[in-house]
Amino acid sequence: MRTFWMRFRSLFRRRKLDAELSDEVRFHLEMLEDEACERGLDPHAARLAAQREFGGVDQLTETYREHRGIAAIEILRKDIVHAARGLLRSPSFTAAAVVSLALGIGANTAIFSFINTLMLRMLPVSHPEQLVTMYRVGGWGRGYGSYPLYLGVRERHDTFSGVVARSGAGPERFRASALARSESVSTEFVSGNYFSVLGVTPALGRLFYDSDNVTPHAHPVAVLSYDFWERRFGLDPAVIGKAVHVGDDIFTIVGVARHGFSGVAIDQRPDIWVPAMMTPGKIEEAGNHWVWILARRRPGVSMARIQATANDVMRRYLAEFYGNTPNPAFRQFAMEQRLEVRDARAGLSSLRDKFGKPLNVLMAAVGLVLLVTCVNVANLMLARGVARRREIALRLALGASRGRVIRQLMIESLLLGGMGCLLGLAVARLGVRALLLFLPHSAGVRMEVSPDATVLAFAAGVSLAAVAFFGLLPAWRATNLDLGSSLKTGVAPGAGRHSRYGGRNLLVAAQVALSVVLVVVAGLFARSLSELRSIDIGFHERNVLTFMLNSPSSWKPEERTHFRLRLTERLASLPGVTSVSYGMPGPYLGGMSSTGLRVPGSARTANEPAMVAMQSVGPHFFSTIGSPLLSGREFETVGASSDRKTAIVNQAFARLYFPGVADPTGRVVSFDASRPDGGEPTYIVGLARDILHDGLRAKVEPTIYVPTAQAPGMSVDPWVLVRPRVNPSTLWPLVRQAVAKASPDVTIDDPRTIRERIDDSIFLERMVASVSGFFGLLALVLAGVGLYGVLSYNVALRTNEIGVRVALGSTRGRIARQVLADGLLLVGLGVAAGLPLSFAAGRIASSLLYGIRPADAVTFATTVIVLLSAGTAAALIPARRASSIDPMLALRRE
Amino acid sequence: MVLRTLESMGPQHGFGLAKRILQISEGILDLNQGTLYPALLRLEQRGWIESRWGLSEKNRKAKFYELTRTGQKQIDRETDDWQRAVALMDRFLRPAE
Repeated sequence: MRTFWMRFRSLFRRRKLDAELSDEVRFHLEMLEDEACERGLDPHAARLAAQREFGGVDQLTETYREHRGIAAIEILRKDIVHAARGLLRSPSFTAAAVVSLALGIGANTAIFSFINTLMLRMLPVSHPEQLVTMYRVGGWGRGYGSYPLYLGVRERHDTFSGVVARSGAGPERFRASALARSESVSTEFVSGNYFSVLGVTPALGRLFYDSDNVTPHAHPVAVLSYDFWERRFGLDPAVIGKAVHVGDDIFTIVGVARHGFSGVAIDQRPDIWVPAMMTPGKIEEAGNHWVWILARRRPGVSMARIQATANDVMRRYLAEFYGNTPNPAFRQFAMEQRLEVRDARAGLSSLRDKFGKPLNVLMAAVGLVLLVTCVNVANLMLARGVARRREIALRLALGASRGRVIRQLMIESLLLGGMGCLLGLAVARLGVRALLLFLPHSAGVRMEVSPDATVLAFAAGVSLAAVAFFGLLPAWRATNLDLGSSLKTGVAPGAGRHSRYGGRNLLVAAQVALSVVLVVVAGLFARSLSELRSIDIGFHERNVLTFMLNSPSSWKPEERTHFRLRLTERLASLPGVTSVSYGMPGPYLGGMSSTGLRVPGSARTANEPAMVAMQSVGPHFFSTIGSPLLSGREFETVGASSDRKTAIVNQAFARLYFPGVADPTGRVVSFDASRPDGGEPTYIVGLARDILHDGLRAKVEPTIYVPTAQAPGMSVDPWVLVRPRVNPSTLWPLVRQAVAKASPDVTIDDPRTIRERIDDSIFLERMVASVSGFFGLLALVLAGVGLYGVLSYNVALRTNEIGVRVALGSTRGRIARQVLADGLLLVGLGVAAGLPLSFAAGRIASSLLYGIRPADAVTFATTVIVLLSAGTAAALIPARRASSIDPMLALRRE
Repeated sequence: MVLRTLESMGPQHGFGLAKRILQISEGILDLNQGTLYPALLRLEQRGWIESRWGLSEKNRKAKFYELTRTGQKQIDRETDDWQRAVALMDRFLRPAE
């Protein structure tokens, strides 16, 4: 054991130990010399005698060294140094190979980072594998439930050791003190046991107890997140006990959560946590849905048992709250709700469900890219192997075993792979940042994708796989030599024979095939995106600025209305503003709101009321968003109202409830759904186009628009719309100023233009199209470069042959055309191999495509044309070079 | 042999050891003196001797080797083994009683 340890240590002290040995030997020799002198020899003879007595110093040193270190490692070290030097001597080869690898490895690592963060990485809490979440589905369920439902789950101590409730993290007005200006912070409302069930400790002060969440509106305490504490308060310990304004209330900060914890949702990072009981409004109302339920299961409880518990809880809950609803249609609708149990170890994410398939497709695409870069590097290495024939032949002739030489070549490949990996990590960082730019601007989504051990291990693994792929074949090929001729000429005999179907040519064809797949996929996604963008959403003013108002909940409806009018006037008078309006839920992805109504005279509502989508809008709504009414007029400015109730309907509504009628203005509907012939009439004053309020891919719904003042329960703030005649970004500061002047207590939430909203809603499609486009281009370039290299090489190889042909009368044009034909043949092979793969790839990605079939003819045809053009371009220079070979010079070269 | 020499001579440098071994064997062991050094290395790796740098009689810098306790025990053990082997062979080689 001691032997091994001494040998191991001596690996690191080579030079020192070498010096020591030579000192010892010198001493010994000097002593022998002295003795010889004493015996009477002259100094010169004495030295010779001493050396003879001592023996061979070099052999001694060799033997000594063999025993001193660990031989295998010493040899390895030498090989590595030798390989490194070899790579440094050919900088262009090394640079090309390393950059290619870095792009391939980096791309894969970047996509994997996303996959890791979104799907694999567990929450930084204790025992995340015990966490589950309850999703309310069916009926109108979109995941979150009500507080009474949470209480029902909480009672089940048999299944769960702790159940927490949380709202999503949303923007709230915040003021650090009474005099500070209002800002917007991300706030989450949680139950008292939130931190204790998750196992989160405080960095400062204390976190919540159960006793902090008992009585509605009676617990004004707050906990900060570590990031917010650092960012906003500079890690000042004096925050504890500070009174801050959150929303409409004053809270006391009692603590800061530990570093590294930022909630349970991956794409939200709350700044402040407050007790759920502080939610404005009636917290315990069953119709109020805002609670995400998270539970920690008891050890040993299976998922099946948890689901059974959830079903049981839901059954009782539905029976209690909806069992006696008078409206039978509504009751049936409500009773469809279910509670779905999902694993929550990796946290919650609204992105995950949407992101999953596209990420997998991207992963496959960058896998192909890595393959392309590996093929590229393998090609480079084959070329290099040919160039080093003589050197390798010499080594083999001198006695190195083939295995040893292959090992040395593989060490070169490993060095390239290592450098590629390191550079690739840098590329991955850039790539991740670029990808994050695609994520929606909305305040809720703040995702952080940081590398961790898993990602690094992935990068290393991918690099190794790449090395094995591009290193082995060339190494094997390079050592497969006929020693005699290799040593003499440095060129393999019969090279001309192999040139057409040799390894390098096949590799290039493979590169072309892979490029075809990537370019086809990129084309499909690009066309799909352009189809999406050209959907008619019903209005054309995409520069409209939109934002939500956040006013104190203590305001009465009249105050709100008054404020809205004041603000509208101010905004309308700003220079650069064409018109102002407002609407609720909002013109694009604002949410859904529906109502029941009856249409007197329509068979559809004879027996029961119809549910239609509803928007309450202000004056000039349709002109502001650029959707001129098809007939009739917009709502009048508020204040000039008559007693008549008015409404505007869209084409879908008219088609359904007034079939055969060209213009429904003047017709009547009624929101009093209790009687078939309707109660109080509402007069239709206009016909609007079909507007896709629910997103690009939404179906058109029959929609009715009512004036804001008329809308029942309009005590919430609407979206404000500002149509600019200048660049929107110059207008935002003016808008904020106007709001602040109208009232200092009101903040703006989620300010975006319509264009930004649309882009955000298709961010996945944009991302996939951009990434696949980038890599399609990259693969194309690499294939082009590879083709150029191989054709140049072939021309150089056949210089003699070409010289003879020119001398015998062949025209230069024919020579050039032949080279071109060779190139196009390779491209053709690649395309032929690549097209079936592309079909398959298209089929796999078909669920992500919109409006395009996977076998889209335009895309495929364009790809073939692009590749043939690229191939021609790549073959031009070698063709020119071939055609300008001087036969005299060529034939003289032997 | 190296160990025994060190035992009797005390700490010694490579040259001294070589000379002494040559002396004791009366010229029967006539190896190249350099082969001593790998052997010394092996003994040191096994922990039976240890080395340090010092000054020779003529004030030259030299590396001295010294027996360790483990080395002492090794001598005893090997001496023991050797004697037993000799005794065994003796029994075979002695004319039959």
